[in-house]
Amino acid sequence: MRIIKQRPMDWVERLYIFEALRGLFTTLKHAARGLFRYETLPTISYPEGQPEVRNTYRAKHRLMLRPDGTPRCVACGMCAAACPAHCIFIEATASDDPRIEKKVKRFDIDHLTCVFCGLCAEACPVDALRMDTKKISFMHRTREDFVAHLEDLTNWDPKDYPDDEQSQVAPGGKKNAEALEVWGMEVK
Amino acid sequence: MDIIESKTWIEWVITIAKFGFCFVPVLYILLLIPMERRGAGFMQDRQGPNRSYIKIPYFGKIRLFGYVQNMCDGTKLFFKEQFAPAGVNRVLYRVAPAIPFAIVFLSPCVIPWFGPMVFEWGGQTVRIAGSIVDSDVGVLLLFGFSSLSAFGAMLAGWASKSKYSFLGALRTSSMTISYEVCLGLSMMGLLVLVGSFNLTDIVNWQEHHVWGIVAQPVAFFCFLIAAIAETGRAPFDVAEGEPELVAGYHTEYGAMQFGLFYMGEYSHICINSFLVATLFLGGYAVPFVTTETMQAHMGGTLAILCGVLAFLGLAFLHMIYRYSRKLKATNLTNRFEILREYQLYKIVAWIAVVVFIALGVSSWFFYDPSKFVVNGFAVGSLATAVGTALIHLLVLVVKSVFFCWVWIWVRWTLPRFRYDHVMHLGWKIILNIALINLVVTAVIAKLVGGN
Repeated sequence: MRIIKQRPMDWVERLYIFEALRGLFTTLKHAARGLFRYETLPTISYPEGQPEVRNTYRAKHRLMLRPDGTPRCVACGMCAAACPAHCIFIEATASDDPRIEKKVKRFDIDHLTCVFCGLCAEACPVDALRMDTKKISFMHRTREDFVAHLEDLTNWDPKDYPDDEQSQVAPGGKKNAEALEVWGMEVK
Repeated sequence: MDIIESKTWIEWVITIAKFGFCFVPVLYILLLIPMERRGAGFMQDRQGPNRSYIKIPYFGKIRLFGYVQNMCDGTKLFFKEQFAPAGVNRVLYRVAPAIPFAIVFLSPCVIPWFGPMVFEWGGQTVRIAGSIVDSDVGVLLLFGFSSLSAFGAMLAGWASKSKYSFLGALRTSSMTISYEVCLGLSMMGLLVLVGSFNLTDIVNWQEHHVWGIVAQPVAFFCFLIAAIAETGRAPFDVAEGEPELVAGYHTEYGAMQFGLFYMGEYSHICINSFLVATLFLGGYAVPFVTTETMQAHMGGTLAILCGVLAFLGLAFLHMIYRYSRKLKATNLTNRFEILREYQLYKIVAWIAVVVFIALGVSSWFFYDPSKFVVNGFAVGSLATAVGTALIHLLVLVVKSVFFCWVWIWVRWTLPRFRYDHVMHLGWKIILNIALINLVVTAVIAKLVGGN
């Protein structure tokens, strides 16, 4: 425990009037800022202006893609096991690619249940699940619409992630061609 | 008919037109509410209410810098259902909110809005006082009216049958009474110097000697603090201190009944700021210029006035253009909508600037009272008198708006005092300072002035 001893007020402070004037000066400065430098106010007029979101912010999920456009997910179920809210639903099926055992048939994330803890993204062994989309507002008509399906999760544009190399590997990315060569196989 | 024939028709017109000044506090409410809400926002680094809009063709959504929000809130308050809780005293409950609001229309009657208008009319000299009632007990009348508003609070607290309301009413009445004493005594020093209760005389004295704030700085501070306390605003709003009393005497009121209390409070601020401006800041007197000088150079004075207004218009335009530039650089999705709205303000402000400059230039070169003749009747001195009155009124409005701002400024800066601290400050500090100030002033006035 730390005891902070406050300095007793000296007589000028106890007169109150001078400290009050100091306070008035402070509020005057802030009022002048609002009047003459309105755009520096920290408020964002929300629906029209969006807050700046970093890519480390845990926003809506996305599934990373291989160079050929299939989801990177191997349907191991680690994310669903790690999820404290039990909002990830995975069904696996046999992969068309002989090098890979399974692929996802169904990958649903219920964003009404999700607590955005980020444990799923941590748990993923193949870096398939990420939460760096910067999409923070979820607006839908029905409860069902809040469940993101596989198509929704894989539907992202590499151009939105210009600094991320892993995203550029996906179809449409800058490094897609060379990555496809290394990957070596066209999947029917 | 004698009473009608005792004055010329122009005198009657001006005398009756002066009753329009009764509505000045109500107009000030329209100014004070947005000033308070956005001012409070700015002081707390917020934006304040700015979302409501009126849609008009071409210019789109007009927000008037957040003013539309106040119109919406007022409309909502006006059309809300009026209800009374069970067990209230029906009559008093309905009457109470009307009292502070009715006083709003009475109190402006003694404030001098402009210097006495003196002009030639049909060969005789006409003199019209600047206040609605040119009373020799002016200040006392005003104090009487403004302390009447405590009755509204008292009745509201009694009729509501609620402990919170009742405690709030008790606090309001005790605070009003204690600070009335300080208010009256702190300006006594000035009255000793002037030697009159008539507000026109007080302003006249300040115009020819010095402003009250220079002659009586201590009294000015005491008076200002007591005036703030008397309106029951923060930091003296113990009567409605929400941590203790929910909302004080208007806890049980809603809709426009609450609105009337609210408007009563705001117009009380307006009246008190007019009083402070009149007593200590020279009232309608233009700084450093006497009325006689002004009237001798009426054309130049009007030109300077127009110049000041044009400058203000240009300053406004500068702010609009600057903010438009900043807005264009942002990525707000509605930025072009806002810029379209600002076009309206730009057009209006540019027109105003051009009109003011044209008026200023023409009054500088072409103003000549001796040429003003209507149907062979010389009205030149009437024009000069009206021009003087206009300038006086504007000067008084500027001074009082400054004090209205002081009210808001203090409210959003200082935390509320505890109830016993308020009483301590009133009875043991301000009252004593005011008394000492009065004695010292009286002694000095006797020794120096010899009157």
